[in-house]
Amino acid sequence: MGFIVIFLGILALIALIAVFYVVGQYNSLVALRNRFKNAFAQIDVQLKRRYDLIPNLVETAKGYLKHERETLEAVIAARNVASNANTKAAQNPGDATAMKALGGAESALAGTLGRLFAVSEAYPDLKANQEMMQLMEELTSTENKVSFARQAYNDSVMVYNTARETFPTNIIANTFNFTAAESFVIDKPEEKEAPKVQF
Amino acid sequence: MDFFQRQETARKHTRLLEVYFALAVASIVVMVYAVVVICLAYYQHHMAMRHFGFEETDLAGLVWNPKLFVLVAAGTILFIFCGSAFKTMQLSGGGSVVAEMLGGRPVDANTSDPDERKLLNVVEEMAIASGTPVPHVYVLEEERGINAFAAGHSTSDMVVCATRGCLKSLTRDELQGVIGHEFSHILNGDMRLNLRLMGLVFGILCLALFGRLLMSLRGSSSRDRSPFPAIGILLLAVGSIGVFFAKLIKSAISRQREFLADASAVQFTRNPEGLACALKKVGGRGSRLEDPNAEDASHLFFANGMAESFAGMFSTHPPLEERIRALEPNWDGKFIAPDFREEDEADARRRQAFAPPVMEPGRPVRAPGLGDLLGGRAMGPAMMPMTAAAAGVLLSAGAPTQRHLDYAADLRNNLPPALQAAAREPMSAVALVYALLLGKVDALRTSQLEQLQKQAAPGITDEITRLLPEVMNLDSRARLPLAALAMTALRRLSEPQYDEFSKNIDYIIQSDQQLELFEYALQKIVLRQLEPNFRPAKRTVVQYYVLKPLVPACGVLLSALAYAGQTEAAAIENAFRQGALKLNLPDLQLSAPADCTLPKIDLALGDLNQGAPQIKKLLLYACAETVAADGVIKEEEAELLRAIADTLDCPIPPMVSL
Repeated sequence: MGFIVIFLGILALIALIAVFYVVGQYNSLVALRNRFKNAFAQIDVQLKRRYDLIPNLVETAKGYLKHERETLEAVIAARNVASNANTKAAQNPGDATAMKALGGAESALAGTLGRLFAVSEAYPDLKANQEMMQLMEELTSTENKVSFARQAYNDSVMVYNTARETFPTNIIANTFNFTAAESFVIDKPEEKEAPKVQF
Repeated sequence: MDFFQRQETARKHTRLLEVYFALAVASIVVMVYAVVVICLAYYQHHMAMRHFGFEETDLAGLVWNPKLFVLVAAGTILFIFCGSAFKTMQLSGGGSVVAEMLGGRPVDANTSDPDERKLLNVVEEMAIASGTPVPHVYVLEEERGINAFAAGHSTSDMVVCATRGCLKSLTRDELQGVIGHEFSHILNGDMRLNLRLMGLVFGILCLALFGRLLMSLRGSSSRDRSPFPAIGILLLAVGSIGVFFAKLIKSAISRQREFLADASAVQFTRNPEGLACALKKVGGRGSRLEDPNAEDASHLFFANGMAESFAGMFSTHPPLEERIRALEPNWDGKFIAPDFREEDEADARRRQAFAPPVMEPGRPVRAPGLGDLLGGRAMGPAMMPMTAAAAGVLLSAGAPTQRHLDYAADLRNNLPPALQAAAREPMSAVALVYALLLGKVDALRTSQLEQLQKQAAPGITDEITRLLPEVMNLDSRARLPLAALAMTALRRLSEPQYDEFSKNIDYIIQSDQQLELFEYALQKIVLRQLEPNFRPAKRTVVQYYVLKPLVPACGVLLSALAYAGQTEAAAIENAFRQGALKLNLPDLQLSAPADCTLPKIDLALGDLNQGAPQIKKLLLYACAETVAADGVIKEEEAELLRAIADTLDCPIPPMVSL
């Protein structure tokens, strides 16, 4: 009789510990997932600010760069593509296709912006324009903030992915469908840095 | 009642809670035993006795079997203990664990949602006014009822969380009342009690869950005579009785804390209408929570989160009518149905999405002249006569008043907008803290910046250079509040970024090779508040109940304060003596300056933090006495005192008294 009670007790304890473990791991996965999703919100804020700045920049530059319509249009087009990609990524941060699309669009945008800045080198009036200088300054600062927020996001994605892949948490992750998150990489290394212009 | 007394009451309640809990566990053990005996009796009736080793059907022996009782008691207690330990461990992550459990989403420091902005501003003002760090702010996006809660173990891991319904339906004054209520839970020491309660009660709840689990085993095992389902049903019954007890405990303790929190909220805001209106709106709209986990945390909330049951016996909050009448004795009994614009809400969100962050218009300032003070005319109120000031500092510990709140609002509104914006954005916030710490001498600053260029994230130095001119012009009393505002953004750093941040702060402080108390205070406040976000929280355990072992530490602290406030040897000695007398230690010797270096002070504060609350109280009085010895509290001294108080977990409001 005592045996049955002991047996029951041990069974109960094991079951209890197992349940607690699963619940605990599940909760920590949810917390980690929330963390990287929230980290993306930081990037989102800065990217949006940048997308708002670019039309102003182009508008200001238009008056001076009469013969560079193509460059300006390319910037606007790249900005629109990136903005759309960002909206998609913000709906589901960490989703592989959305993040890759955003990374591609961002590096394309950085490329066109770089070209715009290179072109504007030839126009001293534009370089001296007060508004232009201010916009450039703000753009660079935003660019820095994006890369800072991107680092925070990628760090938390890495923590989440590591937790997701480690045994035995990976069993729980697979059972409850915690998919791998994609980090935010801007493709070409030479364009990764903020477009720098020497006035 | 002062801050320390209220904390003491909270501690008494915790002890009461433990007694209740022990009683509940004891009765559960008895009941589980009864269940087991009934099962066995049933078995013996049906099956051969030899299966169980009983030689005779002795009813008395069956009913009272000490061996069996010990086994059952040990099993049950172990079970409940495991459950409680699990939950307590889970909750040791602090308030954010609770908020995330309920589906909360952290509010961005640079949010563009006007409602969230309003909430953040109200919380920031309240934090500056009460001298606590700005807590983590969460929103329960899916909840439409009007409710809010605060959770955490100490001021450094606390969380304030409001439902979306709360943000949508309440005006600023009402929201301030609600947040004031939550802050008084923080300052009254209720948060720790509440988390403790959650942990303990969960163990009891586990019993019911386990019963349910056993019941479900019926399907899998053979139909004949398996004892599991029967035991399961009975365990479930016992578990439910356990839950009954648990709820009773929870509500009994929670209900009386609510009245106190309401009263303190009115004391903070001096605006009973705000809180009363908020309560009326709760009556009109409801405060029910949808999340299934809300039950667990129901006692944390501003208003009842669960449906009323059993004539309020289990309700964790006093009836709304009573609470409103306590604030507004001649209330006509009518609730307010708030207008809640579901339709425009989505529209507004969409419109806001592309708008720059909203700066809330400054609210009218009731206390005159404070804005001027910040503008540079740092005179008058900064100076305080000594004893009155020393007493005033301590009386206001943990009890901000409307004056403090106005001061805080005023202070915030008068901060340069660029710095305010910087405090809201993680990277700029990092740069801002660096800028606050940089040396005053140009050469030193240049070399510090060069070094930061190497070891900080790219772009940080540009940001520092951008912020530096404004930071240099900043009134010294706005510096710590500004750092406090930056806290919300700094919590968004990733772990490697935080490591880099704390390393760089260390570097900047070390690089000028001199003891500067402001730097130390800032480092202490910023890192101490951020630490629990990135590392598992260490809980401070009271180790000293008498002053004696702490005397050397007190000496170091008072000496350091005396050196900070005075320059002449006689004045230093005098200031130190004042503090020592307050401690009833007339023989205490002034330490040599070499013994008051930062690491020494740090060690002393670490020791003192392990003292009992009454010791901390006495010590803070002594510190205030030392600081006020010459009849003048300089801003630097005041902020340093505040940093010490903060390290000792006794938030004191900014010194605007007199």
